[in-house]
Amino acid sequence: MTEPINQAAPVRNAEFKAAVLLVLLAALVLGAALYLLYARGAFESTQTLILQAEDSEGVSVGMDVTFAGFPIGRVRRIELSKEGKARLVVDVPRDDAHWLRSSSIFTLERAIVGGAKLRAFSGIPTDPPLEDGATRSLLVGDAAAEIPRLLAAAKDLLQNLNDLTAENSALAASLANVAGVTGKLNGPHGAMGLIAGDDKNAQQLTERANKLLTTVNALAVKADSLIGHADDRVFGQQGVMTDAQATIVQLNGLLTDARNSLKKMDAVLVEAQGVASNTKEATADLGTLRGEVESSLRRVEQLVNEINRKWPFKRDTEIKLP
Amino acid sequence: MSTQASLPNLLQRLHHGAVGWLHSWWRLLHFAVLMFSVALTPSTYGRDRRPMLAGHLVADTAPNLAWYGVLSALVSLVLIRIVVVTSLSYGLSRFALEMVVRVLVLELIPLTAAAFVALRTTLPAGLEFSQGRSADRQVSEQELHGEFFPRVAAGIFAVWMLAAVSCVLTLILAYLSLYGFTPWALTGYTRVVGQVFNPAVTLILVLKIVFFSLAVGLIPMASSFYFGGSYRNKVTHGLSDMVRLFAVMLLIEVASLMGNYY
Repeated sequence: MTEPINQAAPVRNAEFKAAVLLVLLAALVLGAALYLLYARGAFESTQTLILQAEDSEGVSVGMDVTFAGFPIGRVRRIELSKEGKARLVVDVPRDDAHWLRSSSIFTLERAIVGGAKLRAFSGIPTDPPLEDGATRSLLVGDAAAEIPRLLAAAKDLLQNLNDLTAENSALAASLANVAGVTGKLNGPHGAMGLIAGDDKNAQQLTERANKLLTTVNALAVKADSLIGHADDRVFGQQGVMTDAQATIVQLNGLLTDARNSLKKMDAVLVEAQGVASNTKEATADLGTLRGEVESSLRRVEQLVNEINRKWPFKRDTEIKLP
Repeated sequence: MSTQASLPNLLQRLHHGAVGWLHSWWRLLHFAVLMFSVALTPSTYGRDRRPMLAGHLVADTAPNLAWYGVLSALVSLVLIRIVVVTSLSYGLSRFALEMVVRVLVLELIPLTAAAFVALRTTLPAGLEFSQGRSADRQVSEQELHGEFFPRVAAGIFAVWMLAAVSCVLTLILAYLSLYGFTPWALTGYTRVVGQVFNPAVTLILVLKIVFFSLAVGLIPMASSFYFGGSYRNKVTHGLSDMVRLFAVMLLIEVASLMGNYY
């Protein structure tokens, strides 16, 4: 006798629904597999690029190589070369390979936060494209490596600052001197006390300065008188300036005479120009005359030739054949 | 005198406990092999057994799929939002997508899918099934094919289905949450997803879901298969199944984490 076993509630069209679920699962798994293969570049035609670096720290397989922020390749393999350098084998899809030129450079940047970045730069887009399997060296820029250097420099700077601001430093001594100077400037003798040193010397200096000022005053009076005399001699009734004015008047007359002389000279030149013109015409007539003389001479020559032909002793120039 | 007498007693109890514990694991392994051999037998999928199998498959999967789909979508949306907002506030938004995919799709979704199927379907069904059976009856081959295998297969299939649907749904929600309804970010998104799912990670994810599903499907039914006649066993085996199931799931999760990150 078997006990009744709890059966699941009967499902209508169970086989059809189960088939739908199976197909759905198969479609999901197949679709996900195809999408992942596509995402990992399984259907892309690629070319290989090999990047060599001293150190591949921070680089991982599957990492992107970017150009202008766009991924154009991914690291397929990282290996150690015979020279002890890191070799990064990068797959670049052929559709994106035209961004890489033979003159392109590649950098590995390691930031303080986040992973390293592989970047490509093509400066001259007209250069020939990068060939398949090309090997390029990788320039490494490491922000974290700068930190110890920066810290050492900052430490030196702080030490120098400490030295500068120390109690017995040169800066402190200078500032104490400045305080002394300003104290003297504010004292009863002011700047004079600062220049003279002690009070006695300052007093003597003041007295001497007063004497000097008195002398300078007298000198100024004398200079004033001298300037008055000079004014009389230059601009007075018999002064230099009056004579100069008369001289200028005479010079003006002389210039008027010179202008008249030049006008006469101008007329003479006009006449000379007329003479030259006549000479030119006469020269033209001489040409005509020469032509006439030549014509007469030709006629005389013709006449002489005629006479020679009609002359009885004329040579017989005709040749008679037998 | 009493301490001298109690020490062998303690050792004896320890021995009994260890033997019982090893025996239970051995029985589980034996049941797994039995189910595997049944699964490979063509007659299991014969015309007369197909309706039963299909019925369990649909009854165990469809209600869970609807509920778990809704719940996982809501939880995923909240978690994605938290990750995106936090990463934005720290200026690390370019790592947000990778983190969302790793945390949700690789770790949380498979674990919660397996736990959901176990708590809602296989553990109660296993207990109910075992309580309905007589204490001292041997399992016939007919029962193995008609009663045990459909329940085990339905549990395994439900975990696969829930995990697959929720992973795909979470990937779509992550894209929409990060970029909105635009197709222009699809290239970059696909690239990041491709970087996360390298062959090792994908293999570990698949293996994890498979082992979760085997644990969820097999452990509750194994106790029913070896159900003893005592009343004590009848009452306590549901709880022990649950503890054993979650211990196995924890072990699988720890192993997958070690595989992914060590």
